[in-house]
Amino acid sequence: MSTAQNTIIEIKNLNKRYGYGDAESYALKNFDLTVKRGEFIMIMGPSGCGKTTLLNIIGLLDKATSGSYFLSDQPVERISRRKQARLRALKIGFIFQNFNLIPSLPVIENVALPLIYSGYSQTRRLIQASDTLKRFHLNEREYYMPWQLSGGQQQRVAIARSLVSNPEIILADEPTGNLDSRSSRIVMEELRNIHQEGNTIIMVTHNPELTTYATRVINMLDGHIDTDIKTVADADLPQPVSIRFVKPTIIVPEPKEKTTTKTSKSTKTEPKAQKDASPSTPKKSKSKLKKSKTEKPKTEKSKKSTKTTKKGNK
Amino acid sequence: MPLLLRTHYQLATNSLRQNRARSFLTCLGISIGVASIILILSLMGSITNLINSQIKSIGKDLIVVRPATHKDAVTNVVDELTSANQYRGSNLTLQDAKTIKKISGVAATAPIAISHNTLQTKRTNSDSKTIKSAPVLATTPDFLKIHPLPIKTGAFFDKKMPENSAVIGRTLSLHLFGNTSSVGKTVSMLGQHFIITGVLSQIEDPINFNNLDYANALIINADFLATFSQNIQIQQINVKTTTIDNLSPVSKAISQKLVTAKSGDTNFTVASGDQISHPAGSLFSIISGMLTLVACISLIVGGIGVMNIMLVSVSERTREIGIRKAVGASNDHIFLQFLFEALVLSLLGGLLGLILGYLIAFIISTFTPFAPFISLGILFITILTSLVIGTLFGLYPAFKAARKDPIDSLKSYR
Repeated sequence: MSTAQNTIIEIKNLNKRYGYGDAESYALKNFDLTVKRGEFIMIMGPSGCGKTTLLNIIGLLDKATSGSYFLSDQPVERISRRKQARLRALKIGFIFQNFNLIPSLPVIENVALPLIYSGYSQTRRLIQASDTLKRFHLNEREYYMPWQLSGGQQQRVAIARSLVSNPEIILADEPTGNLDSRSSRIVMEELRNIHQEGNTIIMVTHNPELTTYATRVINMLDGHIDTDIKTVADADLPQPVSIRFVKPTIIVPEPKEKTTTKTSKSTKTEPKAQKDASPSTPKKSKSKLKKSKTEKPKTEKSKKSTKTTKKGNK
Repeated sequence: MPLLLRTHYQLATNSLRQNRARSFLTCLGISIGVASIILILSLMGSITNLINSQIKSIGKDLIVVRPATHKDAVTNVVDELTSANQYRGSNLTLQDAKTIKKISGVAATAPIAISHNTLQTKRTNSDSKTIKSAPVLATTPDFLKIHPLPIKTGAFFDKKMPENSAVIGRTLSLHLFGNTSSVGKTVSMLGQHFIITGVLSQIEDPINFNNLDYANALIINADFLATFSQNIQIQQINVKTTTIDNLSPVSKAISQKLVTAKSGDTNFTVASGDQISHPAGSLFSIISGMLTLVACISLIVGGIGVMNIMLVSVSERTREIGIRKAVGASNDHIFLQFLFEALVLSLLGGLLGLILGYLIAFIISTFTPFAPFISLGILFITILTSLVIGTLFGLYPAFKAARKDPIDSLKSYR
């Protein structure tokens, strides 16, 4: 249950530069981010602050200009393009604002799309896609064309597609941006359910109301993290069954004030800071762990609040 | 890997089905090119077949001596295309035929000297009929031993007959005299009179290894021709061996003897068996060579059509490429997907062309002596050509598709 094992994304000192010379501008500047398994991160911020660029880099669609990015402890820079594509097929699911379904393919084949690239035969692809669609109550729409569906349904199809190969990380770029409030609520409920099953979700949004679904809210400004608020403790995060570990019962609230310049470090040092602040916690959690090992680990709904790390001078 | 290929094939056929009309038209471009190649090949094949069957009927003990060294088919076509070569003189002489005749194991030799001359009937001055440029075959009485021609009336000339005897083709007889009973009548050519001793029956093989249309020809004695014409062009010397077994020793002997007789000149070919049918007439070679060139051009145009459509398809489906890349397609996947589309297009075009080509060949065969000839080689060539065209013209669009940036592609509209 080491934290390292539980860290799924680790970004250090990442820069993304566009243009050269006078036209040079940084979409991301000295960006640091550590994402743990089971987090539901909402990234907010004004247009052009680098949210989508960050998502693209995490999703291996884009390359950083400098800095390091570890995906499941693997340095991405050293992964070949072909293997990166394979990782996209197996580990990462994308959800887009404009759904991005292929208009010429029926719903089921759109959902089956990622499976093509993870080496499934056509029959298996369609079976798995059908199963996934059933989860979203779209199994009656399997052979509809995308344009025959409403926006909300299309986005659910897109979510089904992102989930079909059981990825570890789901990246959503304003999934509710093109939807009315009702559809967007349905979509968010779906995302919440997915999260409860232990998936890691990173979502970009402009809608502050949606942050209630998140376990961590990051506000970005001009290519760096402005504020980073965790509403659920790391240990409380839902985990996939295979690596789920028992949560300590006592969670120490730890409000903190730090300057913007230290933002990058604070993300990394959080676990340490937690230990320092309450030396009794680790012991207790350990003893609790021993006890509960005998018990069957349960999925606990994410508890809100308890730990909040507030940074920035705003 | 087979699974991957099958998946790509499925993807390709799927996306081609989205644009049926477009795919069909692109296929048509390829198929016209393939069809013309098939047509030429099948006609050429049918001619080779015709001649081969002729040689078989005449006998397998046939050796043909031709001027010019034996070359492979491709060089031959190129050679024939240059007019200087076409009209160059043959260096075989009547003397060579006599030299060959002395070789042991040779049963008969017949020089074939075909010229085109003006023939004139000599009935009355007012009623004389002239045929310009009728094929005249000058040979020896031995000709009949090698190539038994059916004679309707009269007889083929032999040594006992006067040397100005001639045998006339059925059609020529009709043209000159208005009937086929022209034995005993005279024809004048180059100021000499020829007495017709025989009329040939209707012969239904205008294409043969002697390259002569018998029905329209006048056959005269070469020895007589030599008395008043200095330069007889002998196109080939037909040789019949006593037994089939000594075919190859006799061929060798002919080569050696001729080289010594012609004081070291090796500018001739000794062919036997299937080799005989190889150069099936120079004019035909030229025509088929030209047609092949035109067919190749149309095939290239078809290929450009495939490339064009693939480029349109790539730019139309930029967004799809972006989506596919986002969900895990590597550059190779995209590359293969589009390459397969081009390949399927050109293969379909090739198959369509195969059918089209045979259909046309069949239609042609209904009013010509050609019989469309299907061989595995032709099938193989079709498939290979379409594959090569598909790969050649599909590479660039596929490469372009594979290199598209996923983020930019996702932003693109359509």
